[in-house]
Amino acid sequence: METLLERSDKKIIHEGDTVVKIFSADYSKANVLNEALNQALVEETGLNIPHLREVKMIEGMWAIVIDYIPGKTLQQLMEENPDKLDEYMDLFVDLQCKVLSKRSPKLRKIKDKMIGKMSECKIIDATQRYELQTRISSMPKHDKVCHGDFNPSNIIITPDGEPYIIDWSHATRGNASADAARTYLLFVLEGKEDLAKKYITTFSKKADIPLQLIQKWMPVVAASQSLKGKEEEMEILSSWANVVDYE
Amino acid sequence: MANNYIVDSVEALEVKLQEVREAQRVFATFPQEKVDAIFKAAAVAANKMRIPLAKMAVEETGMGVVEDKVIKNNYAAEHIYNAYRDVKTCDIIERDEAFGTIKVAEPIGVVAAVIPTTNPTSTAIFKTLISLKTRNGIIISPHPRAKNSTIEAAKIVLDAAVAAGAPEGIIGWIDVPSLDMTNLVMKEADIILATGGPGMVKAAYSSGKPALGVGAGNTPAIIDSTADILLAVSSIIHSKTFDNGMICASEQSVIVMKDIYDKVKKEFEYRGCYFLSAKETEKVRKTIIINGALNAKIVGQSAFKIASLAGVKVPEDTKIIIGEVDSVDISEEFAHEKLSPVLAFYKAEDFEDALKKAEQLIADGGYGHTSSLYCNAVTEKEKIDIFAQRMKTCRILVNTPSSHGGIGDLYNFKLAPSLTLGCGSWGGNSVSDNVGVKHLINIKTVAERRENMLWFRAPEKVYIKKGCLPIALQELKDVMNKKRVFIVTDRFLYKNGYTKCVTDKLDEMGIQHATFFDVAPDPTLACAKEGAVQMTAFEPDCIIAIGGGSAMDAAKIMWVLYEHPEADFMDMAMRFIDIRKRVYKFPKMGEKAYFICVPTSAGTGSEVTPFAVITDEKSGIKYPLADYELLPNMAIVDTDMHMTAPKGLTAASGVDALTHALEAYASIMATDYTDSLALKAAKTVFDYLPICYDNGPNEPAAREKMANAATMAGMAFANAFLGVCHSMAHKLGAYHHLPHGVANALLINEVIKFNSAECPRKMGTFSQYDHPHTMERYAEFASFMGAKGKTDEDKVENLMKMIDELKEKVGIKKSIKDYDIPEDVFMESLDRMCEDAFDDQCTGANPRYPLISEIKEMYLNAYYGN
Repeated sequence: METLLERSDKKIIHEGDTVVKIFSADYSKANVLNEALNQALVEETGLNIPHLREVKMIEGMWAIVIDYIPGKTLQQLMEENPDKLDEYMDLFVDLQCKVLSKRSPKLRKIKDKMIGKMSECKIIDATQRYELQTRISSMPKHDKVCHGDFNPSNIIITPDGEPYIIDWSHATRGNASADAARTYLLFVLEGKEDLAKKYITTFSKKADIPLQLIQKWMPVVAASQSLKGKEEEMEILSSWANVVDYE
Repeated sequence: MANNYIVDSVEALEVKLQEVREAQRVFATFPQEKVDAIFKAAAVAANKMRIPLAKMAVEETGMGVVEDKVIKNNYAAEHIYNAYRDVKTCDIIERDEAFGTIKVAEPIGVVAAVIPTTNPTSTAIFKTLISLKTRNGIIISPHPRAKNSTIEAAKIVLDAAVAAGAPEGIIGWIDVPSLDMTNLVMKEADIILATGGPGMVKAAYSSGKPALGVGAGNTPAIIDSTADILLAVSSIIHSKTFDNGMICASEQSVIVMKDIYDKVKKEFEYRGCYFLSAKETEKVRKTIIINGALNAKIVGQSAFKIASLAGVKVPEDTKIIIGEVDSVDISEEFAHEKLSPVLAFYKAEDFEDALKKAEQLIADGGYGHTSSLYCNAVTEKEKIDIFAQRMKTCRILVNTPSSHGGIGDLYNFKLAPSLTLGCGSWGGNSVSDNVGVKHLINIKTVAERRENMLWFRAPEKVYIKKGCLPIALQELKDVMNKKRVFIVTDRFLYKNGYTKCVTDKLDEMGIQHATFFDVAPDPTLACAKEGAVQMTAFEPDCIIAIGGGSAMDAAKIMWVLYEHPEADFMDMAMRFIDIRKRVYKFPKMGEKAYFICVPTSAGTGSEVTPFAVITDEKSGIKYPLADYELLPNMAIVDTDMHMTAPKGLTAASGVDALTHALEAYASIMATDYTDSLALKAAKTVFDYLPICYDNGPNEPAAREKMANAATMAGMAFANAFLGVCHSMAHKLGAYHHLPHGVANALLINEVIKFNSAECPRKMGTFSQYDHPHTMERYAEFASFMGAKGKTDEDKVENLMKMIDELKEKVGIKKSIKDYDIPEDVFMESLDRMCEDAFDDQCTGANPRYPLISEIKEMYLNAYYGN
């Protein structure tokens, strides 16, 4: 038994051929069950992901049990082999496109989720919340499976080279542009500007989506990210979120 | 009279919508004078409050310039009132007694108005005023950033309107705007006046209600080498600084021709603009646009403030900060719409380069909005035309500050004043002009039945009487001074000396002449072309056709080919419904040659008709041409030319004349004028044709009667046209080589039976043909012929008997079969014949619109002689 990660609200343990995610006692039951449901729904799409084994209570705390996938994350590999960065980026974007090619009608719609999230945002005023909600509601209605937190640390490459995508707690269905804007933001927030640029160029080309469409989601994903309340991110998120449509 | 409760939830909004709707129902009944008084009171009230409202808007939104907003408010109240003060918007707005049309204006109902932050009070004034003028209710969804000032403006207009007699609650608004409520308003209203960002416009269009949405602008201004630089630069500065650049028509980029670039730049600097260095340009770039979107903090701010935000120091009174950039691609931040006193500045190699740059800038985000050109408008008309062709914008302004120019009525007085500028389909809009009252009314057109004008047309000269030919021809010399005459006739007449009397007379008068005598029965296009070649070589100033229908028709075609060799024959032969509305405009005839017809048989009437039938020898198709340009100028009806016509010809032509009279009488286009000619012509045929048939060469009086009857019947059908009998006879003749008159004779009684139906499958379409009354018409006709009968049916029955008797007297057989057309041959051609007959030009005037199957039945009956 090995602890992989420990935060105030959850603990992730490796146990034999499984991973057990234990949530703190005050964690929303609905959120836990929703995460398990997301995992199960995406499993049905046939994507390479760890399968859900069990949802149970451990000492009064909800826990989700899934397959353990041995290997290194794509992030580790990128750091260890900087000369292979182009190759890894291609793989990364290909995997994201593969996810986006799937459909899963029972997942929550990204536009609904984001319109809801905007109401809770503190870094923007009421006017700007209205502005962003209008923006979201004018986006086209798509239904692609979106990972919602697609970044290299959520990709595990097994020793025989098989990639697995993990952490489906933020999965939704909707617009590819939104998912890409989110990934781009994650790179920028990590201070990896060059990688962010490389990513967005590669994605735009492979997914055949113009940069402008992806950019339309950037204020939205920035406002959404601000809900995590990380002080050091607030300045950049605020500048991203405070933009207006033309009039 | 404000909302007496706060509209801050979907439930409260539902109540408010109901209130506005009820008020509008009352308002819809108001007469024009009352509406105009309300419109005026509201405009005056809004105008009075222009300063407080401007102050409030700037204070609340933190954007723009008070003094400029005062102008906008003033404009919205005054110019809108002025433009529409006398415009009729209620009930009957137009009445045309002669044409029987009435236009009635009705309100649309409830208008949903989305008001932007950039013009929160002026747009509110504008939209409420045009709604009042059109008797609509309006419910306003303000932008949260500007809700207090927008609501205040609406309140002022509402109070004044109600004080002037408008129903309470005719204007409503959302007090605490949210996306849900905005969407609900758009869904519930009858029409949406959306102004705002693309998000709002898209929401409006997807609401399912008709929307007048307007979109983004990205106005480029080209300064051409011929421009007045002082005027151009100051106009752009004036426009771009107006309300800190928040008018959507405002210039976003200036494209300057390279030969005047430095001069223009210097002038901008002299007038207080600041050109950024390369480094400063980069800083501003990253400040104004973030991830491809406009930074909310710069909208409507001063140049100084924006520079400060970017960390660039400029003088505090700087009017505009300008970045000199190269790329017009959307990836260039300066190429975007900036809604602030920030300008992109481009250098163009030549005018074409400038056009290309402007086109791309419009594509970047200003499709359908506005573009601007500065040039010498007197000498550079061509440039203006090219610019107008190339720009995909609905407003194209010349030498005009675009902010002030686009909203209309300030720098040009034909462009309607408006604060909602349509961007056409390019901008995803339903309108491409400046939105005004006409977009807020439904216009009903009341159209009373009116009858078509009819006419009576005949050759200018018709000369009649035995022996009149040489006297009539004398005019060629004495009156018209003609020099060269071209004669068209057929071989038989030529060989037998029928043309001699004409040529002798011409020789006597010293008029040169040539004769074409190769016209065969059912003349072909090839024959007409050949004649035209000779005609062209001879260059006549007069043409004389001598003969029956074939010679006269062939001569008409030669005349056309001679006068207008460029005219396309297929165009001339194109089928039409109404001769006045046909697609093809027939060329003007008679400019080269005067056209005279001298008939030698009594039947065709071609000497007085605008028709000619010609056969395409390649396809075998008969083309009936019809146009009053083909009407001969003179007809000479001289019985001397008819005396020796053979029996068969006399019979067939005589019966043809009878069918002309019968069809012209039954035609939906028949008039009192044609009726009298038809009746007299037909009676004459019944009385004199048998005599001519039996003893023609010795009965000059009967011959004369028949000659006149044929020409009179020709005049009748030249104006009333024919019917389905001729449609069918044309095809029967063409497919089975029956003489035209015989073909008509075989079919006419079938057609009389067919047309007499009191309950036809379909009646003909013509305004004055009000009900199927052809039985009655035939009965009148029968009575005039002397047919007896108690009822109309009896009379028509007896008329058909008279026709049968006449046919028998003149040797016409009883059925198609009797003319030795084998049954299998007839049957094989029948379906094609039916369809062709249906499509014949003559079918249109028939009082009963025939189905193809009905034509078939008539053909079969006529074939077997049932």
